[in-house]
Amino acid sequence: MRPSPRLVAALAVLPLALTACGGGGSSGTPAAPPSVAGASADNRPVKSGGTLTVALNADPDALDPSTSTTLVGREVFANMCEKLYDIDAKSTIVPQLAGALPELSDDGKEVTIKLREGVKFNDGTAFDAEAVKKSLDRHRTWEKSARQADLEAVSKVTVVDPTTIQLTLKRAFTPLTAQLADRAGMIMSPKALDAANDNFGAGPVCVGPFKFASRTSGSEIVLEKAPDYYDAAKVKLDKLVYKIIVDPNVRAANLKSGDVQVGDNLATNTVKGVQSDPNLKVVSGGGLGYYGVTINIGNADGATEKSGPVDTALGKSPQLREAFELALDRDAINKTVYNGLYEVDCFGVPLDSPFRADGLQCPQRDVAKAKQLVQASGVPTPIKVTLNTPNDAVNIRLAQVIQQMTKEAGFEVKVHTAEFVSLLEEGKAGTFDAMLVGWSGRVDLDGNLTNLVTSRGSNNYSGMSDPGIDDPIKQAAAESDQAKRAELYAAAMKKIAELRGILYLYHNKYYLGMSKNVAGVQYFADGLPRFVTAGFAA
Amino acid sequence: MLWFILRRCGSAVIVLFLASVLIFLGIRALPGDPATVMAGQEASPAVVEAIRHEFGLDKPLPAQYLDYVGQTLSGNFGRSTQDQLPVIDIIAERLPVTLELSALAMLVAVIVGVGAGIAAAVRRGRLADYVATGFGLAGLSVPHFWLGLLGILLFAVTWRILPASGYVPFTEDPAQNLQRMILPAIVLGTGFAAILMRQTRSAMLGALSADYVRTARSKGLSETKVVGAHALRNSLTTVVTVLGLQLGALISGAVVTEQIFVIPGFGKLTVDAVLTRNYPVIQAVVLITVIGYVLVNLLVDIAYAFLNPRIRLSGGTRD
Repeated sequence: MRPSPRLVAALAVLPLALTACGGGGSSGTPAAPPSVAGASADNRPVKSGGTLTVALNADPDALDPSTSTTLVGREVFANMCEKLYDIDAKSTIVPQLAGALPELSDDGKEVTIKLREGVKFNDGTAFDAEAVKKSLDRHRTWEKSARQADLEAVSKVTVVDPTTIQLTLKRAFTPLTAQLADRAGMIMSPKALDAANDNFGAGPVCVGPFKFASRTSGSEIVLEKAPDYYDAAKVKLDKLVYKIIVDPNVRAANLKSGDVQVGDNLATNTVKGVQSDPNLKVVSGGGLGYYGVTINIGNADGATEKSGPVDTALGKSPQLREAFELALDRDAINKTVYNGLYEVDCFGVPLDSPFRADGLQCPQRDVAKAKQLVQASGVPTPIKVTLNTPNDAVNIRLAQVIQQMTKEAGFEVKVHTAEFVSLLEEGKAGTFDAMLVGWSGRVDLDGNLTNLVTSRGSNNYSGMSDPGIDDPIKQAAAESDQAKRAELYAAAMKKIAELRGILYLYHNKYYLGMSKNVAGVQYFADGLPRFVTAGFAA
Repeated sequence: MLWFILRRCGSAVIVLFLASVLIFLGIRALPGDPATVMAGQEASPAVVEAIRHEFGLDKPLPAQYLDYVGQTLSGNFGRSTQDQLPVIDIIAERLPVTLELSALAMLVAVIVGVGAGIAAAVRRGRLADYVATGFGLAGLSVPHFWLGLLGILLFAVTWRILPASGYVPFTEDPAQNLQRMILPAIVLGTGFAAILMRQTRSAMLGALSADYVRTARSKGLSETKVVGAHALRNSLTTVVTVLGLQLGALISGAVVTEQIFVIPGFGKLTVDAVLTRNYPVIQAVVLITVIGYVLVNLLVDIAYAFLNPRIRLSGGTRD
């Protein structure tokens, strides 16, 4: 008995369809990217009640705002732990638990914040200045807090009256408001903190539209509508269930089968399939971060140590790095690896950022010039480069595309794969030639630069150390005039583009898949779906 | 006999000790530790140090090992570095899930594998044989993740007769539980069914050509009785042995199946723990698995000794 040829063909094609190994670098004219709407402007009325099931792409770490370091953790916080400030659809900072934007003293070192009144934590405790101080002090002084760096500029928190606090700074630090619009600005219930102390993350209590109900490790997190929320009338859903579904194909399949109504962070190769489903829609957010090739040019003894010479052809020669960049075709990379769904760029500043100066230009692919530079360098070809790459299919594909493109200019890229944690260790230690790594991005541009490109920054894997980068970034952080800050950042970014410690490739967008009968979801540049007004369409 | 059991228990303790050392060193040989994962990409070295101190990771290795053994002996595996939940609670939640999945997969494997094996042997060289051996080859070759995705696409997305993934505890809703477990059980059981099919087929072929079967047939017994009561019964010893041997493979196969079907089991826990360098969880999970293996082997050895006095006398050649 022989199986039918059609069955054989179907079975043979299936794995290709599932992993969507499309591209491969040979396609000349990839299909036009599907158009995806931005932050949803869905104003349909929603009815009260219902449980919304949301697929998360990874298991969050402890749900403790002081220690949390994952993007998925922030997705959960966005619906149960409000902050002093928040961002809106245009990435403008707006008050959330604060009553107004902060008032600064003339020297910028005294920051006064009025608090929203009539607010209760989700355990019924009153929200006041004492509670804010307790949380901020924990964020900035607890030895295990991952927020210490965010609030490093703060030297003292003072309670002025029950609805006013004052922060005393070591130096003027404009990005502070943006920090308070993220985890460093989340305020925890003092009662819950006293009871749980270091284990606050096992049963977090904050101010928010939903309150923590339960968590099954590695599987799901359940939030319930919070009766104590100050704006409870706005909240329609009874319950939010976050299910952890790591595999992007399984996440998409769960959306299609209706097992989940929202799926975060769709893989670019699953976007089209979700979009074409009559019951589903896709909205886009994100774009604050970046992804690129980090080249080790001075990280000899570790990122936080003093820079020193490295012994690789690429690390030693700016000309070779230029040749390497000229060999890359960013648009082709976007099309072949990401279905054209990301925003191509060669700077670490978001395209629509108010900090982005006009006239930033990206070099186009120029293999002839790249070859010339390689030849002029006198380094015998092929020039060997080891590219450290996260061991998932998409990153490996990216590495292979880079390998092919740079081969034409005389480079021989060896792809070294490792899982993420090992890779970050190698980055910090400086034991790499070049690596694929990105940054999730911050609302204030300072968060995309200070730790990543200035001397001894904690994430300065490339080991760049140049006063032309360090000084303007430092000055910009103390400057409150937005236009002046943009100028300073532009100067720093031009220097980075010259040194090429990081070859920025693109800003990654986040794609949120949703059932069409879900409305009222807010999805902004930070890529955190907010469900405060969400519900099932009436 | 008592001396034999004591000696076996003694060697089990040594195995456990060696395993605990290996687990302890193995996980620490990987780059990165819980502190670097917890503190995240942006952490300052001081935060990483503080977390290391908190978990005792700044102590010398022998001291860390003693802490670990001390904790484990008191039945306390510490807290997970990923979500701060007590490790013992996580395991109590996860272990039954994987046991259920494995049991169901085994059930699928026995029904399909033994059935197909018998059919193939009885109808040797005919269509049923080719179908069964073809199935066996496919079952052994197809990777779990591919079969799992195919199953989800067909049953959950196209036909919508089963949920795509997830887990509901049996005690909460037995019907929902089985609905969600059936696909993973089939996926996990397939490879195992293929092995069982091949073993059953060859054992049955051997038995069918044996003298006692010829005798049974010449006595005028019906073919059903010959196959069922004589040939199969004698082939079952082989099947049971394979079943025991494959239990380990079943648990490791559960790792992939649980990932695809998002089942919060032991396998998924292990993979997640390794990726996040969750030392307390990895140590506990691996140690419990080792204890499981050692216990099963110990029981088998003792059972063999009871059944076969020669093993007792020769001091036990099995291990």
